Amino acid sequence: MTEPTVHLVDDDVSSLTATSRLLRASGFSVKTFPSASEFLAQCEDDAQGCVVTDLQMPGLNGLDLQSALALVRNPLPLVFLTGHGDIASTVRAMRGGAEDFLEKRAAKEELLDAVRRALLRDAHAREARSRQREREARFRALSVREREVLSHVLRGRLNKQIAGDLGINERTVKMHRTAIMKKLGVRSVAALSQLSQEAGVSAAVMPTFPKGQ
Amino acid sequence: MSWVTIVWAMVGSACLMLAAVHLPVWLKDRTAWPSLFLSVLAVATAALALCELAIMKAQTPAAFAAANRAGQVAVWLATLSMVGFVRSYLRSGRAWLGWTVVVLRTATLLPNFLSGRSLNFIEISTLRAIPFLGEEVSVALGTPNPWMLVGQLAMGLLALFVLDASRTAWRRGDRSAALTIGGTSCFFALGGVAQAIMVFWGFVQMPITVSLFSLGIVFAMAYELSRNVRHAASLLGELRESEQHMTLATQAANLGLWTSDIASGTFWASPGTRLLFGFSSSERIELESLLSKVHVDDRDMVRLAFSEAAEGDRAGRYQMEFRVGTSDGGSRWLSAQGHFEFERRRAVRNRGVCSDITPSKAAERETLRLRGEIAHAGRVSVMGQLAAALAHEINQPLGAILRNAEAAAIMLRSGCADLDELRAIVEDIRADDQRAGAVIDRMRSMLRRHQVEVMALNVHELLEDVIALVRPDAAARHIRLALQVPRDLPAVLGDRIHLQQVLLNLIANGMDAIDEAAHQRRNIAVTAMRRGSESVEIAVIDTGAGIPEAQSEQIFGSFFTTKATGMGMGLSISRTLVEAHGGRLWAENVDGGGASLRFTLPASPANEPAMAPPAPERSPERLRITA
Repeated sequence: MTEPTVHLVDDDVSSLTATSRLLRASGFSVKTFPSASEFLAQCEDDAQGCVVTDLQMPGLNGLDLQSALALVRNPLPLVFLTGHGDIASTVRAMRGGAEDFLEKRAAKEELLDAVRRALLRDAHAREARSRQREREARFRALSVREREVLSHVLRGRLNKQIAGDLGINERTVKMHRTAIMKKLGVRSVAALSQLSQEAGVSAAVMPTFPKGQ
Repeated sequence: MSWVTIVWAMVGSACLMLAAVHLPVWLKDRTAWPSLFLSVLAVATAALALCELAIMKAQTPAAFAAANRAGQVAVWLATLSMVGFVRSYLRSGRAWLGWTVVVLRTATLLPNFLSGRSLNFIEISTLRAIPFLGEEVSVALGTPNPWMLVGQLAMGLLALFVLDASRTAWRRGDRSAALTIGGTSCFFALGGVAQAIMVFWGFVQMPITVSLFSLGIVFAMAYELSRNVRHAASLLGELRESEQHMTLATQAANLGLWTSDIASGTFWASPGTRLLFGFSSSERIELESLLSKVHVDDRDMVRLAFSEAAEGDRAGRYQMEFRVGTSDGGSRWLSAQGHFEFERRRAVRNRGVCSDITPSKAAERETLRLRGEIAHAGRVSVMGQLAAALAHEINQPLGAILRNAEAAAIMLRSGCADLDELRAIVEDIRADDQRAGAVIDRMRSMLRRHQVEVMALNVHELLEDVIALVRPDAAARHIRLALQVPRDLPAVLGDRIHLQQVLLNLIANGMDAIDEAAHQRRNIAVTAMRRGSESVEIAVIDTGAGIPEAQSEQIFGSFFTTKATGMGMGLSISRTLVEAHGGRLWAENVDGGGASLRFTLPASPANEPAMAPPAPERSPERLRITA
């Protein structure tokens, strides 16, 4: 796992150097890029951290970078810096999901605060993603039959009813239920229900073969 | 009643009167020779009349002879004055013939006094009394003197001389003068000679009455000259009228006139001149006095203009504007023009006219000032369009300086600062400060009020400075700026700030046109090239929508704009500035879309080196930008 890195993008060399100095002195790990296209080319898929970018640049400007990042699977949070902002750009940037939009001459506390928030957002997002991945892995571990049973349980059917629906023994149903609970690591139906919701698994998604409904 | 005495006395007094009238004319104006000769002829005639009277009353041959001799002297004088009069009045007559007459007549004086009793008589034997006008007058009987032939020949030649002179005058067109003078002189001269021949050669016995014939000539001449007097009187009337008109005109136009006669040292100035220069109406003034009233700073220029004209420069004409001091301590602007008149290549007269141009000078100054204000407003306006981009240009380095300083502070506080890194930070701060300063200096030079300074300018540098100002804005709008200037382009003569203003305006307009047209191609090209040997043409070419044919001149009018904001003065001001440089600004459309705004400037003469742009002004309060 890489360390969370602030990715600095600015076409103005002295701006780039100065901002990276400040961020490094404040304890952040920084990578600098003189243009948006270079950043997009060099940045790895699982890059960790955030992006601090200048708004007005020749070639791809900050807003173009934002649009490009939005197409990526794990987009890094964006902080915009500008020498002279106008309202239209600010609104577009914030609507596009930027963490913050600052003037280059803003106090350092504002910049550092925004960077911290962005890094935090990235950390949370990474965490959520990994949890999601783990959850999905657990659900994938279920067999087909178990998934069937799960969808019925989620609909609130009693074991007897499920046995009737699927044409199996109630005891088999109970067995599946135990296995499901164990594989998914939950102890109660409520917890099961919540986990399923979080995983984005709903009753309707599971294929059902209703017998005699 | 002695009719003879009365008549001859009247002849004498009439002649003396005429002489008395005409002599002063010549005394007053030494070039009036006819008047002199008439006076002399009149005196001679009076003397002749006196002699003839004495002859007629003579009781003894001796008395007769004495009067006769005296009479011949009078005739001699009369002859000379007739030749002189004809020559000077008719301005014709062969000189040799005239001189012959004079010489012959003068020659007769010798025999008049030396041979015999007189020119007419060698010897007078006796006197006889004959009746004449109811009295008895004396006639002489004696031996005629052959020398009198010379005299009579002279008279014949005189008649010839007068005839010839009259003919020339007639041919020339002075018909009445020729007829009067020529006719009467001839007639009376011939008449007189004829009578003299008849009497003195003994063919007839009668008294000599030549003075009556001479009187006829005197009257004719006096009549001719009096025509001049009458003419002069009417001229005087016309002159007074003309003077009235001129006074009215000069008063209405507030003009002052003067004439300086260099030869005679006289100087005349009209009341208007006195008023304008601040002299009282009675002071004695000369050309030098005028100069003494001219403002110290302008005096040399005025003196130089006068002396150059006096030497014949510009056909002796001068025209200048200068200040004179007024009695209340202020000053007044006068415009003076005039010329020197030359005779034989030397200046003999100076005539001039001056007028008060203080109000028009003030208006001129005010116009210049207002033009400067408008140009300044135009500069501020176009810079305003660049304001956003320029603010960005300044905020970049300022932001970097702040970050660097903050980083350094953190490093220092932590106690383990890397000196090399700190050195690098300080160096970067310095560099960024200069960057910001340069942008501000460029803005400042455009935004402040400006006195025109014309000098030789390097076109490449001029255009590069302007491109530096516009580049941030162009970059923000994604417009490409290209500069094409050949290396060997001559320098141009002009004011740096004004020319940069024109270029800024044209480029800003081009960028707006590109935005409006929303084409794919967003380019502005600034080119410069030689045009002939004396001018340079600069063009700003855009890839906008071009200019509709109908508007290609309209766009240079005041308050013409197709944009929602802006004064609409940009192109109007630009054209005024270019034309003030002696150039032309016009618009053309480009094949393939877009417009090109082109203007010409005079190339600087080859031996003037182009001036480098002045070092940017640095001052602590550089951030205060006056608009």
